[in-house]
Amino acid sequence: MILLWLIVIPLIAGVLAWFAGRWSALAARWISLIAASVDFVLGLILWSRYGSELHLAPTHGWVEQVSWIWVPQFGIRFHLALDGLSLLLLMLTFLLGIISVLASWREIQDGVGFFHLNLMWILAGIVGVFLAVDLFLFYFAWELMLVPMYFLIAVWGHENRIYAAIKFFIFTQLSGLLMLIAILSLYFIHHHLTGVYTFEYDDLLGTHLSPHTALLLMLGFFVAFAVKLPMFPFHTWLPDAHTEAPTAGSIILAGLLLKTGAYGMLRFVLPLFPDAARQFAPIAMILAVIGIIYGALLAFGQTDLKRLVAYTSVSHLGFVLLGIFAWNTWALDGALMGMIAHGISTGALFMIVGQLQERTHTREMDRLSGLWATIPRMSGAALFFAMGSMGLPGLGDFIGEFLVLLGTYEAHLIGLTIVAALGVLASTLYALRFIQRAFHGANSNQWSVQDLVPREVVALIPMIVVLIWLGVYPQPIFNTFNSTLTKLQQYTVRPVQNSQGPSIMSLLPLRGDRP
Amino acid sequence: MNVTDLFTLLPLLILGGAAIVVMIVVAIHRSHILTLTLTLIGLALAFASLWWIAPEAPRQVTSLLVIDRYAIFYTGLVIAATFAVALLCYGYFERHPGNPEELYILLLLAALGSAVLVASSHFISFFLGLEILSVSLYAMNAYIRAWSLPLEAGIKYLILAASSAAFLLFGMALVYAELGTMDFAKIRELVTASPDLNRAVLLAGTALIITGFGFKLALVPFHLWTPDIYEGAPAPVTAFVATVSKGAMFALLLRYFYWSGTHHFGAVFLVFTIIAIASMIAGNILAMLQTNVKRILAYSSIAHMGYVLVAFQAGGQLAVQAVTFYLVAYFITIIGAFGVITMISDGDRDADSIEDYRGLFWRRPALAAVFTAMLLSLAGIPVTAGFVGKFYVISAGASSAIWLLVFVLIVTSVFGLYYYLRILVALYSGLAHEEAHAASGAAMVSSSSLAPALSISGGVVLAVLTILLVWVGVYPATLLNIIHSTVGLL
Amino acid sequence: MAVWPIGLYFILVVLLILGMLIGSHLLGQRHSEKATGQPYEGGILSEGSAQVRLSAKFYLVAMFFVVFDLEAVFVFAWAVAGKEVGWAGYWEILVFIGILIATLIYLWRLGALDWGSPGRPRRRV
Repeated sequence: MILLWLIVIPLIAGVLAWFAGRWSALAARWISLIAASVDFVLGLILWSRYGSELHLAPTHGWVEQVSWIWVPQFGIRFHLALDGLSLLLLMLTFLLGIISVLASWREIQDGVGFFHLNLMWILAGIVGVFLAVDLFLFYFAWELMLVPMYFLIAVWGHENRIYAAIKFFIFTQLSGLLMLIAILSLYFIHHHLTGVYTFEYDDLLGTHLSPHTALLLMLGFFVAFAVKLPMFPFHTWLPDAHTEAPTAGSIILAGLLLKTGAYGMLRFVLPLFPDAARQFAPIAMILAVIGIIYGALLAFGQTDLKRLVAYTSVSHLGFVLLGIFAWNTWALDGALMGMIAHGISTGALFMIVGQLQERTHTREMDRLSGLWATIPRMSGAALFFAMGSMGLPGLGDFIGEFLVLLGTYEAHLIGLTIVAALGVLASTLYALRFIQRAFHGANSNQWSVQDLVPREVVALIPMIVVLIWLGVYPQPIFNTFNSTLTKLQQYTVRPVQNSQGPSIMSLLPLRGDRP
Repeated sequence: MNVTDLFTLLPLLILGGAAIVVMIVVAIHRSHILTLTLTLIGLALAFASLWWIAPEAPRQVTSLLVIDRYAIFYTGLVIAATFAVALLCYGYFERHPGNPEELYILLLLAALGSAVLVASSHFISFFLGLEILSVSLYAMNAYIRAWSLPLEAGIKYLILAASSAAFLLFGMALVYAELGTMDFAKIRELVTASPDLNRAVLLAGTALIITGFGFKLALVPFHLWTPDIYEGAPAPVTAFVATVSKGAMFALLLRYFYWSGTHHFGAVFLVFTIIAIASMIAGNILAMLQTNVKRILAYSSIAHMGYVLVAFQAGGQLAVQAVTFYLVAYFITIIGAFGVITMISDGDRDADSIEDYRGLFWRRPALAAVFTAMLLSLAGIPVTAGFVGKFYVISAGASSAIWLLVFVLIVTSVFGLYYYLRILVALYSGLAHEEAHAASGAAMVSSSSLAPALSISGGVVLAVLTILLVWVGVYPATLLNIIHSTVGLL
Repeated sequence: MAVWPIGLYFILVVLLILGMLIGSHLLGQRHSEKATGQPYEGGILSEGSAQVRLSAKFYLVAMFFVVFDLEAVFVFAWAVAGKEVGWAGYWEILVFIGILIATLIYLWRLGALDWGSPGRPRRRV
């Protein structure tokens, strides 16, 4: 039942905030903040309750479930289930939920109630995506989170917001519909084979498909997640959406929505279609590496701070995709760590850029030189998260990228590993350029603005702490992920014998020592 | 024809009787509220009688009409939609000069025609129902005589509907000439019994019948009347044209082509495939070019009828249920959308420019929220009935593996998103920091700003429709059960 | 059945019409005097426009005539078969006539049957 509460609390809080917002903007903000915090606490409770169980790698995987009949005619169930992967991403969701409420505290002055309605409902949708194990419910939540996101960008965004919002919506909607076809085909094929109409994830696993069909269906899922991720040729919506969204929108887009794409790859694409995914892996990995380099280079070329941070997301999520398709223990651990660390460091960068824009009313790097003198605390925070983004050892991103590279190397993809490693180098360039141009140098524009206020400090400190924790002692994360990892790999072990695909997957290592 | 037969026709008799009673009452004492009340009572009685006659179903009443559960379900749908439209009409025509009372007579007659259509199993009743419906619609379209657009709409509809009816008649005549029967079920017997019939004449007849259907359903290439009639007709009347007349016609399309077995002809299947694809593409792309909300909805309705055709093409029980479910969702959504337009329109003109909706959310949050829900339902976004409808249609298509149609549906429905989002953008624009800009823009574009008095009846209708929309969208099992147990038996 | 006679007939018709048109074009005389373009009726010069506006009342009455006359056809049809259709037919025609009477009452109350005088106010004030 606690899983249901995780979704219901933000839904109700959103409606309450909307009504409250008509009387008092402050009430709406507090309601949202409390709701996100309550969810966070519930997440912590779940974690402490199941942490050890997840570490012990049970075979069935789900530690907490809610399962009700929803639409019996179609065999649709309202089925939520929790395992290590979803738990970790939920924690990230709630943390960033709190942060985004804090980040929009002063930025949003109009339509406050409605803003928080949308914010809370996005959170509810994302929680639904991470918890749903009925494919219909998953698609339902997948589509549902788009609408409030669309409103967030279209109503409170910057200059070019309507273009960005419509582009975002159309990209994700089209890819989502392709996934719907794939889901339905799988559903009918499964019915054809077994005579049972079901959208259950556990039941659909291992549905026997001809290689050709499996490839097509896999692509249906893959495209939906690749657009969200975003993978290289499908990334064009991202810079626009990130740039035009309000700060909270950018945080949630970069920190959470992109993660739903990676989550979908992990949860659905590979387990449901292991053979097809193996066939397709080389293409996906090459595109991932292209994304890494391409994102980093474009980030280096940007002058708009938000656009810069947006393109770094393309680069970082390239690592995640690479890790997912390398599909061994190191790479998967690395991908998960990359997801979480990217969520925090990029979320924080967007927050800082948002604060800068709030104060200086510009995001142009050229107009922002020499800020260190006037706002040292904020500049320090920016430096910290930029270092995180470029993969400084001791911070979470480093662990993620390092493990992905290690896993890719382990999969005998040395060429890809080398190119991807160049991406890490490129990230140093854009991160340093960002710091140098915006904060160092002479304060030629005579900026004199307020430094971080307590509210912002309160929002940033947990992120700093978490990022250091992830970088120094990531073991709890890996422990929690352990059971899911074993489970995911079991799904794909079965067909190894008759594989004719490239050799990456046939070298699945057994659970080895932890790095 | 005996007493039981008459008894099973009770809903039709009540509708017809109500029209006459309302007419006489209008002759004796003109009162808008009285007329409305009588109309609603008539509709409610007709609706209640459906439960009464349900045990008698299925029953063939003469060779013209068949009262089966399918007919009962669709009659109920028609009556319920008419009920909602009547309530919307009240607030709308209360604001207009001129006599509103006769509209309700026409409304009842149009509902009667639709009820005849959904129950007909014979060309004669088909044509009778069609004409009762069409003739009422001519007058309803042109009801506001003081404005030029409704008049234009009425005349256009008159000419085009009459000529399409002529095509339809000719088609029926050809089929009759070839087979010697006008009964749907007998057509099937003859077609299956003697496959060496002169197919050319039969196909020509079927093609002409498709023309007749295509016109009423506004399918490409018979869609040219749609935007003008949608734009010109008074908003509640447009809601009626868009839902009841199309829904009843689609119910009949299903019955005719499935019962007569002509849907199995390769050529007929091909023609419907082409029509469906053309409707989806043309409807969605042309809608993107519009700036008038009523015209956008007109083109989008063309596309939506294309979507329903996809389910129709799938064939079988799943198709019948998918079509029915989609139509129910579509009824709720379209009446809701035009209900909002009705509510915002005032006595001078209909609120059909996008500019009229700019910033509506910040002025009238409830109304804008309802409109948002309706638009999202049209776009097929979750939590709305339209989502489940679209899901059902796609799954019907996927189960029959008509991939081409399904892919066209998906790609074009994404085009569709664009224009729904444009209206949404307008609804939510004009937040404080751009208020001044928006205000000056609105002043330039729209000739006069609207100042409608909101009506209670319309508000109630919208509230009920929104609840239904979300209910069906979140928990469709109830509606699915009803559809399974009624329409499943076609 | 041979189709060619119809085709031949059709061609002959076309040829005949063409022949008449071309013949009159070649042989006919043309002149353009002052009064050539004027309408001619028994030597009297016409006056006013040909497009006279008739009162809408005429149309209304014509419509009523057509409508009610047409309905009468159904009553005749019943009268011919009155014995065969029995009491059921009797009741049906009674209902039919009843509806006609209701319509007539409606038209009468509406003032549509009044001639000349403004009659009852047809618009609500």
